[in-house]
Amino acid sequence: MKKLSLFLVIIMVLSFTAGCGGEKEVKGNPDHELDHVTLTWYLIGTPQSDLDKVLEEINEYTLEKINATIDLRMLDWGEYDDRMQVIVTSGEEYDIAFTSSWANNYSLNARRGAFLELTDLMDEYGQEMQEAIDPAFLEGAQIDGGLYAVPTNKEVGQQAVLAYNKELADKHDLDLSDVTCIKDMEPYFQVIKEEESGVSPIATFDAFLPFDSLLQEEMPFAFRLEGDTTEVINKYEEEITHDILSTMHDYYNKGYIRSDAATSTDSWPMDVQNWFVRKELYQPYAELLWSRSSGYEIDYVPLQEPYVFNNSVTGSMQAISATSRNPERAMMFLNLLNTDPYLRTLVDKGIEGVHYELNDDGTITDLPARVEDYNMPSFAIGNQLILPLHDDEPEDKWEAFEEFNDNSIPSPALGFYFDPSAVRTEIAAISNVTSEFAPALLKGAVDPDVYLDVFNERLYEAGMQKVLDEIQEQYDEWRAHQQ
Amino acid sequence: MKSFEKISQQTKASSEEVVNLGKKKKYDPHSFSKKTNIVMNILLALFAFLCIFPFVYVIIISLSSEQSLAMHGYRVIPQEWSLDAYRYLWMMRSQLLRAYGITIFITVVGTLLSVAMISMYSYAISRKQFIYRRQFTFLVFFTMLFSGGMVPFYIVMTQFLGLKNSIWALILPLAVNAFYIIIMRTFFQRSVPEAIIESARIDGAGEFRIFLTIVLPLAIPGIATIALFSTLAYWNDWFNALLFIDDPNLIPLQSLLMRIENNLDFIAQNAHIGAQSESLMASIPQDSAQMAIVVIATLPIALTYPFFQKYFVRGLTIGGVKE
Repeated sequence: MKKLSLFLVIIMVLSFTAGCGGEKEVKGNPDHELDHVTLTWYLIGTPQSDLDKVLEEINEYTLEKINATIDLRMLDWGEYDDRMQVIVTSGEEYDIAFTSSWANNYSLNARRGAFLELTDLMDEYGQEMQEAIDPAFLEGAQIDGGLYAVPTNKEVGQQAVLAYNKELADKHDLDLSDVTCIKDMEPYFQVIKEEESGVSPIATFDAFLPFDSLLQEEMPFAFRLEGDTTEVINKYEEEITHDILSTMHDYYNKGYIRSDAATSTDSWPMDVQNWFVRKELYQPYAELLWSRSSGYEIDYVPLQEPYVFNNSVTGSMQAISATSRNPERAMMFLNLLNTDPYLRTLVDKGIEGVHYELNDDGTITDLPARVEDYNMPSFAIGNQLILPLHDDEPEDKWEAFEEFNDNSIPSPALGFYFDPSAVRTEIAAISNVTSEFAPALLKGAVDPDVYLDVFNERLYEAGMQKVLDEIQEQYDEWRAHQQ
Repeated sequence: MKSFEKISQQTKASSEEVVNLGKKKKYDPHSFSKKTNIVMNILLALFAFLCIFPFVYVIIISLSSEQSLAMHGYRVIPQEWSLDAYRYLWMMRSQLLRAYGITIFITVVGTLLSVAMISMYSYAISRKQFIYRRQFTFLVFFTMLFSGGMVPFYIVMTQFLGLKNSIWALILPLAVNAFYIIIMRTFFQRSVPEAIIESARIDGAGEFRIFLTIVLPLAIPGIATIALFSTLAYWNDWFNALLFIDDPNLIPLQSLLMRIENNLDFIAQNAHIGAQSESLMASIPQDSAQMAIVVIATLPIALTYPFFQKYFVRGLTIGGVKE
């Protein structure tokens, strides 16, 4: 009797689950007039209090254009990744989601089948968008020959620069224009260290290493940008790595880097004037942005040419979910978002007259409501190059972006996405070793003469060679397909 | 009560007299010797200080200026005092007040609900006359040992129960706690004798009446304990909000704090979003403002604790039958 009742309960639960999972709608014929649908769109960024107000306007417009309403859900920066993981694994129905190399991992989700393959959809419903987006994006974002998300049109290259406090440089008559690497900074750091007591010459950062890193930035697997670029290497074995880390350690010993650098997680806000040099990623006119947000003048010297990496082309994209019931309509919406300046501006800047004012020359001026109640992450939404400019922005901003993109050099591994499933255990072990050694080494806190060898030894114990071989094999195969 | 105290005082006095008669030295078997007393006092004071100091430190940091924090780090006596952090909170007051409201609502409703459900469930399985008592105890016990994991939990909550973006998503998951049910069952078995239930039944009381007017008053210490645990659990919960709430109007206080923390971590790990993150950075409160939020999120619940504690001490001495 007891067993029977338990059995009954299990049967009931199972049938309940099956009943709920089984409902699926049969799609209508796409030829006749469009039915009204609601598209769920997950976007990264702090939820804004005026979002509902703006959504009303957006829906009015999209209803008219493609007979769809948008249910835009913003998930905060720090939790986007976790939340999307749960949503994807649970098979929840949604239509569009933000994806990238650094949040809601693009290549992983694409391989897993969480996102739809978009080539056909795009040919049918997104031709205008295809023309608007820089081809480098559409090519570089392909995984195993398929495109799984629509890249955001913005700066395609990635360029590491040293940003410095220009006020301090002028005060002490320092001319940084000849600087090309961190080694050249020595005399300037010395001046700052001696003359300015409250200023740390270096705002803690990881040393810049000129490689194209696979997986995460700290991990050892990388391709060289110069010399033999077709061989995958352990970047911690390279001569140049040793040189740069030695320089960093030298700076650490001389007190140019804060003594708690290896463990500190301080964010070094730009608007506190207690640093002289920091590492940043550049986009055209970034120095104006920095200066404006910090309240004093900031300038920069480049550390490398702008390169096109996998990370930079997949830096911001919109994917259509495999669970979407209306992928066609989602594609139509994305097409509209990337080509229609009115919609793009509405989503990004809010409502004219409430959040911003339109000036006679076509530029816009922020109203207080935009900063407080509708501050959207512009780069995460869609085509940036069709946005109106702010009144204090240089007129040729978007031209400068296009020029920057044209001048960016493709990395040797652009478009190669490593599939780590065969060597998962080794990578986990290597990741552990890396997180033990890399932060202290990269921030200059420990002597590379001693620890770099120990680090490499431990990496090989953890299975480095096997992973390198696997990557090389996949890379060679990928290259063979390219030609 | 009173008479008992009197008697104990009398015995104490008389024992003192006896000791005094024997030796000149005063000896009280209920107290420590002077030396032990001093050592104990110092140790306890140290321990109390260690417990309180972090919180005092948090208050101090919330009152120091951002500039001096960035320049010199955390200091016990900051370079420069400032109320900026609290001014910042005043600026985000509408959001904070709403979060406060949500937290208070889920704490009050949740605690009432969970106390009601836990006490009824555990009373039922504590009664020997209840036939399926073993099966229901097993159900509870089973969930204590095994859980489905986060994704099935998420699927049940969002797809079967449709609780996404609903205030019940913050209340229901914490409403019944298997461990408290086991505690309460044992408590009912120990402190509510069969005899008292039987006598109530002889007087003509039904099951509900027995439960409400006889059993519950006897179980007050146990219920107070569980109520306190539930209150703390609801007040401190952020995880359910993280999973189920997108709507910024439904975010409780701790979750707001957690979001700020997560965002700061995120920026620290993703420096490469670079030029575009400057507005993100500006939107996140800095150290002192964070500490100020910690202060206002913790103080109210810390202040309610003494009231609960008083209740415990009184409640624990109540007994039904003297044997």
